[in-house]
Amino acid sequence: MGDMNTLAVRGRGVVVARGAHVALQASDFDIPAGRITAIIGPNGGGKSTLLHAIAGLLPTKEGALSVLGRSPVQARDEVSYVLQYTTVPAGTPITVTEAVAMGRFPSIGMLRRASADDRAKVAAAMDRLNITDLARRQLTELSGGQRQRVYVAQGIAQDHKLLLLDEPLTGLDITSMQTIDAIIHDEPEHGCTVVLTTHDLDEARAADHVLLTAGRVVAYGPPAQVLTPANLTAAYGLGVLHENDRPTLVDDHHHHHEGDRSHSHPHDHAHGHSHDN
Amino acid sequence: MDWLIEPFSHGFQQRALLAGSFAALMSAVVGTWIVLRGMSFFGDAFVHGIVPGIAAAVAFNLNPIAGAAVAALVMVFLIEVIHRQTALGEDTAIGLLFVGMLALGVVILSRLESYAGSLTTILFGDVLGVTLPNLIAEGVLALVVIIVATVFYRPLLALAFNPEKAEMWGMHPRRTHAVLLVLIAAAVIGSYQSVGTLLVFGLLVGPPAAASLISRTVPRMMVTAAVIALVSVWLGLTISYWLGTAGSATMAIVPIVIFFVLLVITRTMKKVRHG
Repeated sequence: MGDMNTLAVRGRGVVVARGAHVALQASDFDIPAGRITAIIGPNGGGKSTLLHAIAGLLPTKEGALSVLGRSPVQARDEVSYVLQYTTVPAGTPITVTEAVAMGRFPSIGMLRRASADDRAKVAAAMDRLNITDLARRQLTELSGGQRQRVYVAQGIAQDHKLLLLDEPLTGLDITSMQTIDAIIHDEPEHGCTVVLTTHDLDEARAADHVLLTAGRVVAYGPPAQVLTPANLTAAYGLGVLHENDRPTLVDDHHHHHEGDRSHSHPHDHAHGHSHDN
Repeated sequence: MDWLIEPFSHGFQQRALLAGSFAALMSAVVGTWIVLRGMSFFGDAFVHGIVPGIAAAVAFNLNPIAGAAVAALVMVFLIEVIHRQTALGEDTAIGLLFVGMLALGVVILSRLESYAGSLTTILFGDVLGVTLPNLIAEGVLALVVIIVATVFYRPLLALAFNPEKAEMWGMHPRRTHAVLLVLIAAAVIGSYQSVGTLLVFGLLVGPPAAASLISRTVPRMMVTAAVIALVSVWLGLTISYWLGTAGSATMAIVPIVIFFVLLVITRTMKKVRHG
C-alpha cells in the first residue's frame, strides 16, 4: 500500500475497547486518501467502534492509529462525523437551518458571529441535500430520511478533509438515499476522503476500498479482493449464501442478537439500491 | 385597577416582586437547558441537596450561600462516585442523594431551637422577608447566570443536540455540563431565599416546560419561559395578597397551571387543524 501521503487513515495493531469490553481486537488497516471506503461486517462486529476510534471518540487501547498524519483527537478539526439519524433524537427545538449551521461551530467557536462565508457554506450544503425548502421546519416535523439529509448537510457544512458516516443509507426512503449517495460519490471530487459503515454488500462493492470487520478487521483492500466468498464466510459464518457465483448476504438488519448466526433463510434486499451506473 | 397596584404599594411587597423576578429570569434561562437535557429529576434532587448546607450554615451562623455551594459540590461528587463505582443507573444515584441530603438537612435543623421556622423558610422561602442586601446579591447572581449562559449558548446547544457531535465540534461537552451544573447551583442558591428550595424547582421546570409547547427555537423558548416566569411571580404575589395565601407557593403553582392551559390549547388547535 502507499505511503502516508496517500493514506488518510493508517492502523497497526489497533485495539479499541468500550469500557471493559474489547470491541475491536488487534487490527491492521489502511484507508486511502481521496477515495470512498466502506466498512462492512456483521452487527456487533466493530464497524461503529472503528468509526468512533477514527473520530477520536474512543481511545485506542493498544496499537498505532493515525488520521490525516496526526492522532485522531488532533485531527478532529479536519474530520466531520455524521451520526446515524436514529442515534440523534430530534428533541432539541431547532429549525433545519439552525441544525445545519451547527456544522460551522468548529470554525466560529463559542462567540464569533457567523460570517457571510459561513452562511454561504450552510446554504450550499442545504442546497446539495435538497433541504432548502425545509429550512424553517423543525427537526421533529421531519421524516427519518429528511432528518438524515439534515445531518449529512450539517456534516458537509463543516470544513473537513475526512467525512465519516455511520450507516448513512440504512432504512431511508429512495429520494433521501439517492441524494446522500450522490453526496458520498461527490466528496472525492472535492479532495475529501469518505469512510462509511454499511451492512449492504452492494454499497460496499460500489466503494473504492473496503474494510471487512468481524470483531477485528478481517481484510482490507479493493472490493473484489476483500469481498470474496472465503472472507465473507469467515466474517459472517453461515449467513452467506452463494448465488450465481456472487456471494449474497443474509440481511441481518432486523436481527440484532449478537452471535445469532443460525438463521440462514435468504431474503432479498428490499432496498433495490444500485451503484452500477 | 387598584387591585393590581395595591399589592405592591408596600416596600416589602416591592422587594418580593423584584426578588421573584430575578429568580424568574435566572430559572427560565437555566431551566430551559434542564428541560431540554431531560435533567428534571436531577434538578429536583439538586435543589433539595443544598438544604443541609444551608441548615449547617444557619446552625453555625455562617453564610448560607457558601453552605449551599459546598452541599451542591458534595452532592454532584457523590452522584458521580455512585455512577462510576456501581452498575446502578444515574436515577438511583440521584434518588439516594435526594433523600439523604434532604434528611440530613432536616436532622441538622431539628437540633435548632427555631426548627419549624428555619425549615419552612428554607423549603418554602420567605418572599416577603427579602432584605435589600439579599436583593442585591440575587440581582448580581442573576446577571452573572444570564451572561455565562449567553456565552456558553453554542456549547450548551451542541451538548443538548448530541454529546459526541459536541466533542467533535470542539465544544467540550464535559466542561459544558460542569458549567451547567454551576449555573443550576447559582440559580437555586440565588433564588432559595425568596422562593424556597422546594418551590424554586417550580420556576426552573414549569415555565420552560410550558414554553416548550409553543416555541420553535431554543432562544424563543428561553424568552417565552422568562415571560411566563415573570407573569407567574407577579400573578402569584397578587393572588397571595388578596387571598392571603403563601406567596412563594402561589407563585409556583401559576406556571404549572399555565402549562396545562397551553397543553389543552395547543392540542385542541392541532386537532382542529388536522380535522
